[in-house]
Parts: sequence; C-alpha cells; structure tokens
Amino acid sequence: MKHIDEIETMMRPLARVAPGRSGGSPSGAGARTLLASITSEDPGTAVATPRRVQRYGPRRLVLGLAAAAVVATGIVVDPSLLRNGHSVSAAYAVTKDSDGIVYIQVRDFRDAAGLRKRLRELGVPAIVDHVPQGQMCRGPRATPMEDIPSGLYSVPENIPGERNGWQMRIDTKLFEPGQTFVWTITDLPGGGSSTSTILMKDPVAPCVLVPDDTPKMKEADSKVRRATRKGGSLAGYRVDEKTVGEVLPEIEKRGLKAVYLIMAIPPGNPGGFGELRTQEKPVGKDWVVWEAEDVTSGVVRLLVTDKRYDKNPVYGGPRDNVIRD
Amino acid sequence: MDDPRLARFEAVYRETFGQITAYAVRRCDSPQDAADIVAETFTIAWRRMDELPPGKEATLWLYGVARNVLANHRRGEIRRQARSVELDVEMVDLYGAAPDTGVELTAIAEVFRSLPDDDRELLSLVAWEGLDRRQIATALGVSRNAVRIRLHRARRRFSRALVEAGVHLTPESRLLPAGRSL
Repeated sequence: MKHIDEIETMMRPLARVAPGRSGGSPSGAGARTLLASITSEDPGTAVATPRRVQRYGPRRLVLGLAAAAVVATGIVVDPSLLRNGHSVSAAYAVTKDSDGIVYIQVRDFRDAAGLRKRLRELGVPAIVDHVPQGQMCRGPRATPMEDIPSGLYSVPENIPGERNGWQMRIDTKLFEPGQTFVWTITDLPGGGSSTSTILMKDPVAPCVLVPDDTPKMKEADSKVRRATRKGGSLAGYRVDEKTVGEVLPEIEKRGLKAVYLIMAIPPGNPGGFGELRTQEKPVGKDWVVWEAEDVTSGVVRLLVTDKRYDKNPVYGGPRDNVIRD
Repeated sequence: MDDPRLARFEAVYRETFGQITAYAVRRCDSPQDAADIVAETFTIAWRRMDELPPGKEATLWLYGVARNVLANHRRGEIRRQARSVELDVEMVDLYGAAPDTGVELTAIAEVFRSLPDDDRELLSLVAWEGLDRRQIATALGVSRNAVRIRLHRARRRFSRALVEAGVHLTPESRLLPAGRSL
C-alpha cells in the first residue's frame, strides 16, 4: 500500500467488499458446483475455436525490427512546405488568445532565439535550436513524454494561401510543470528546413552540434510504413499498448480513417503474429492497439488484438526496445 | 482423475476465488452480473491454463482476464450461462452488507461513476485490490511507466471532477493512513 494516495483512501469506503476482505468462499456449494462445471469441459476443444486461422510467422516481426534503423523525431513538416523563396512579411508570428491557446506561424527558420523568447513570453515552455545542414544536436537531450495530452498541440499545417511556412496551435493550459517543448529546426539539402517538435521531460540538455550520422531513412518494406514515423500520418503520437478507444479520437482529430488488422498471436506470444483479416468494421473500444501503419493517404491500419498480451507482439517486447521516436 | 492440470487449476481456484469474487462484486451492480464475471473468468482460465503464471502472479493474471470479461459484459457480449446461476446465492450474500452510506460518500460515488472506465479501473485496483504499480502493470499488460502516468492522470481527473461536483472533503473524512506524508 505504499503508493496509496489520498484519492484511493477516500475511495476505500465505496467498495462493496471492503479492501483486504475476501469475497465468496471456494468451499461454498455454489463455488464447488461452478468448479465442477468448468473442469468438466474439455479444455482442448474450447481453445480450438478462436485459433482456427493459424498463419503465424516471423514476417511481421522482421519488419518491425528492420524499422529500428529509422530514427523518427516527433512532428516533422514536409520540407517542401518550408522552402524559402519569397520574401514574407515576418519571420514568425506568435499570438495568444484569452483561452490560453497560442497560434504560431513560422516562415523563416533562422531566428531560433527570437522564436524561443516569443514562445516563452506567451507561456509555451519551449527550447528552439537551429541546426545547420549535415549536423544534429547530440542526443538524447531528454526523455520524451510518453503520453501527450490530447489537444496540447495541433499538427503543423500549411498557412492557407501561402506556399511557405507552417502554422500550428498549442493549448498552454495543458502543459504540466517539468515539461519542455523541444523544437529543432534543421536545414536540409536544397534549401528547405524541417522542424521537429517533441514534448520532453525536464531537464533538457543544451544542443551540442555534432555531425549527423543517423542512418538514412530506410525501411525493409516500402509498402508497410509506420504511421507514427516522422512525416507519417500519426507522427508524434504513440499508439502502442493503448486501447482502440484511446487512439480513435486522435485519428479522427487528424481527419484520418481507421481500418483494423486483426492479429493472430501464437501460443505463448513469442513475438511475431499472423494476420486473421483486415476489416473496416469497428472493433471494441477496449481492444488493444500495438502499431499503426499508413495504408493510403488518409487511411491508417491499426494492428489490434481483442485482449492485452504481456508484451508487444509486433516487436517481441516493448516497442521502445526496437523503435526510437 | 489424476490430472496435474486439473489439480493445479483446483489449487488456483481455491487460492483466488475470494479475490476474484470480491473484484467482481466491487464492480458489478447486481449479484447476477458478478456471478457471470466470476464464472466466465474462471472458465477462460481453465481454457488457457498454459498461459497461467505460477504463484502470486496467477492472481494478477486473473484480474487481467476479469477486466476483459467485465468490458465484454458491459458491451452485452456475454450471455448468461447456466453455470453462473450456481453462484447467484453466494453473490447475493455479498450484496447484503451495503457499503457505508452518507451524503458525502454518495456524492463521491456518483463522481467516481462518471469517470472514464479506464480511470475507474486503475483507481480501484489501487484502492480496493491494494495493488502497487508493478502489480497493476502485470495485470493489465502495460509498462510500469504507463501505469504511473495513467494513474496520475486518473487521480487528477477524479480530483477535478470532485471539485466541479462541489464535493469538498472535511479533514476528518480523509481517513489518512498513519505515517503517510502528503
């Protein structure tokens, strides 16, 4: 009971069977009849039904491991959006409304210090760094937040009517103490820039520039692309180990449609899975999502099971052991 | 029948029946529903004996199964089976002793019911089943860090909901355990 909090203490009297007390007795007549009834069933035949389609194999696991070569970093705007060409009115515009929502438009990416100062003035705890082409900030600078509050920020998008720059909104009310938005603006070959925005836990180390030696983007199978990778439709959002009910609002928010790949898990969940089927029909909100893939534009395939397993079948363990977002 | 599988299941059943029935009774509004949850949970355990972990972990695993059964039940996907009727009478006994009532507790219970399902489950596993984070992580099949974060959020949402509902706790009602620092 070491972790018990005031909230739980208050809840204890609500329990119909007091905490620490036992419910029914296994020696009661009903309990004994139930036991006899259950064990009279042949367990072998009972298991066969849900496992009738067996197409297990290491294929998907291999894909999952191969994707480890990709280092994805939060939200990255398509560099084609960011190319500097025209002169524009202002390098950036940051405004805040009375609800604590901050609107940001960025058109020129060189004045990192000015942008950082402006964001901080308006209550966005941000660190902004500008990184020349071919270099990167030495990582890891901090631990990324695992669960980002829904609605904390929008996906960066085009500024309507303009070819350059991007805009996004941030709800400053949803920041918690000890969190910092880490923005890294990187020049790309050809004159564009990319911006990654990652919510991290304090303390965040300062950016020390080092040569960019991250493996170039490559995936084992170009047909299967993680939706949460940088530039993916769910970039910056984690789906693994969440329930379908938790993930769907984010998918809807981003204007995407979900389809479901029903996974078949081999006995003992050794890692790897088969595909029972892919369907558009919604599954239960309590089903568990293990990964998301981009299928076609606007469609995300969720890899789901009807129950929780002890480890992520796609990666044969925690996703963090394989993928670094 | 000298079946080691049967012997092991009977041992687990005897060991955990009290905890699993308590789990179900704390979460179901009617004794019939609780009986369904208990019967279905142990039926699944019997079918999946190969996955049942040894020792105390078995209880956590069963909580995880019961949790899924409960969710399916709420969606109306589990039909009443003849075998759960056997348990009705025993479950009714557990419903006889109503939990403490009072204006304040009733209000707290109402707010608690308004929370998302996942929040209620996490808070209940701590407050009612007395599980720590590691045990919850095992039962629900998620990482400890995820439990820590979700629990933090659940507590915060509950606190906010209580404030919004105008439930203000008097110091006497807090029932703080001894030796706990705030």
